[in-house]
Amino acid sequence: MRDVYVAGIGITTFTRLEYPLSEIAAYPSMMALADAGLKGIDHLFVANMGGGRVNHQTGLASAVIDSLSLTPAGAETIENGPASGASAVKAAYMAVASGMHDVVMATGAERMREVNNLEATDFVATLTHPLAEYVYGVTLPALAGMFTRLYMEKYGVTERHLAMVAVKNQNNALLNEFAHLHQEISIEGILDSPEAMTNNPFVAEPLRFFDCCPVSDGGASVILVSKEVAATLGKPMIRLAGVGQATDTHAVHEREDPTDLLAVRSAAAQAFKMAGLKPSDVNVAELHDAFTILEIVESEEVGFFAKGQGHIALEKGVTALKGKLPINPSGGLKGKGHPVGATGVAQVHEIVTQLRGEAGERQVDGARVGFTCNFGGFGNNVVCLAFVRED
Amino acid sequence: MAREIKAYRCRKCGTLHYPFRMVCRKCRGNDFFEFDTEDLPSAGTLLTFTFVHALPADFEVAKLGLAMVELENGMRIVGQLRADDPQLGMKVRGRVEPVRQDGYTTHYGMVFYAA
Repeated sequence: MRDVYVAGIGITTFTRLEYPLSEIAAYPSMMALADAGLKGIDHLFVANMGGGRVNHQTGLASAVIDSLSLTPAGAETIENGPASGASAVKAAYMAVASGMHDVVMATGAERMREVNNLEATDFVATLTHPLAEYVYGVTLPALAGMFTRLYMEKYGVTERHLAMVAVKNQNNALLNEFAHLHQEISIEGILDSPEAMTNNPFVAEPLRFFDCCPVSDGGASVILVSKEVAATLGKPMIRLAGVGQATDTHAVHEREDPTDLLAVRSAAAQAFKMAGLKPSDVNVAELHDAFTILEIVESEEVGFFAKGQGHIALEKGVTALKGKLPINPSGGLKGKGHPVGATGVAQVHEIVTQLRGEAGERQVDGARVGFTCNFGGFGNNVVCLAFVRED
Repeated sequence: MAREIKAYRCRKCGTLHYPFRMVCRKCRGNDFFEFDTEDLPSAGTLLTFTFVHALPADFEVAKLGLAMVELENGMRIVGQLRADDPQLGMKVRGRVEPVRQDGYTTHYGMVFYAA
């Protein structure tokens, strides 16, 4: 296989966007082309989960490639739940690595705010098991709530640890102009003050409002190219060095230990092995914190910390922006927002920005190795990526 | 919708599954129709639970109890929970009852009560 490099990136602000889904996808794609200094591409993959259901638009990739006036280049839409974004990046990687194409774009986009929050939550819940979960009213927050209660019982994670993740990531988001939430929060305000329980009501016990990511619209795009093309562009040489993906049972109750996220463990191990890296080599990571608990657990399962030690590392500030291993400097899904199809690509956008040294106030000094974990379903389809700056 | 919930026993290796799957996770035999159905036990212990306060619009309740239960035979299942002060590890008993109304369609499923 050939080496694959990042040529260009683009992103929209994550917020409520009052323009069509195809434009939410096309805008960051255009930015990525401009960033790379390229006029054309060989192929486009568009990640999207809800276009057909929420926005009454299918065949999104065909709409985007035409809107960009890039026909007759090939294009397809990829749906892999909340891991659609990293799946599109993986597809683009395979297209370039195989030698089939030299310049391939992966764009993720979602427009969820076209419907209200309850409908958006119901739409995401359709990825749960139809007969064993969805029919009962199981939503993603519900699965996360049950998971959190088990994790607290087994490993001593408390509401305070969850609130620490929320505060860390929402305060990182203050430094990210593209983030959905620009609201400074404190442990006092969401946990300790007399008003805290009003500010921060339960969503799915023990998870509260500030433990859950917002419902966002947004898009992100990345262009992957062969080494020959990358060398002509004059951009920092950032290689997509490791790609891993793994699945787990559809119904969460069928997992041997429901507090393990084996698909995260396996996808991360594959990505590190392919890249020839260890978890301790990573300088900056974007993990899929759709719920605060997930950042803690993923930080263990990908190998940064031992099982049950993630919340201890959090307490010690290891994962803070100025810590030894900053996690979610972008604000993560919690602070930056979670337009489901866009998230995996947006994680790549942040890592590339960091490795290029262009992250401004939230720059992780000297970052050369970055890692992303995009978590689909409730951990039943996970894609991890490892990036290395070479020059 | 079916008013009963069944477990699926592999005809080759005897492994029990819930919910239905096409191929046994243990022996991965791929003959067609390789499972026999059997009743799930109704008694079990509460493994974990949540109360959901942000529900899809077709649930006309303020909050909904959901539970993961370990049944007497060691199998696990997710169902609704109707108990006032649930505690991890407490004994529960399940009944098949209406769990969701979707227009004119009534869906049935497992509802757990304190035993």
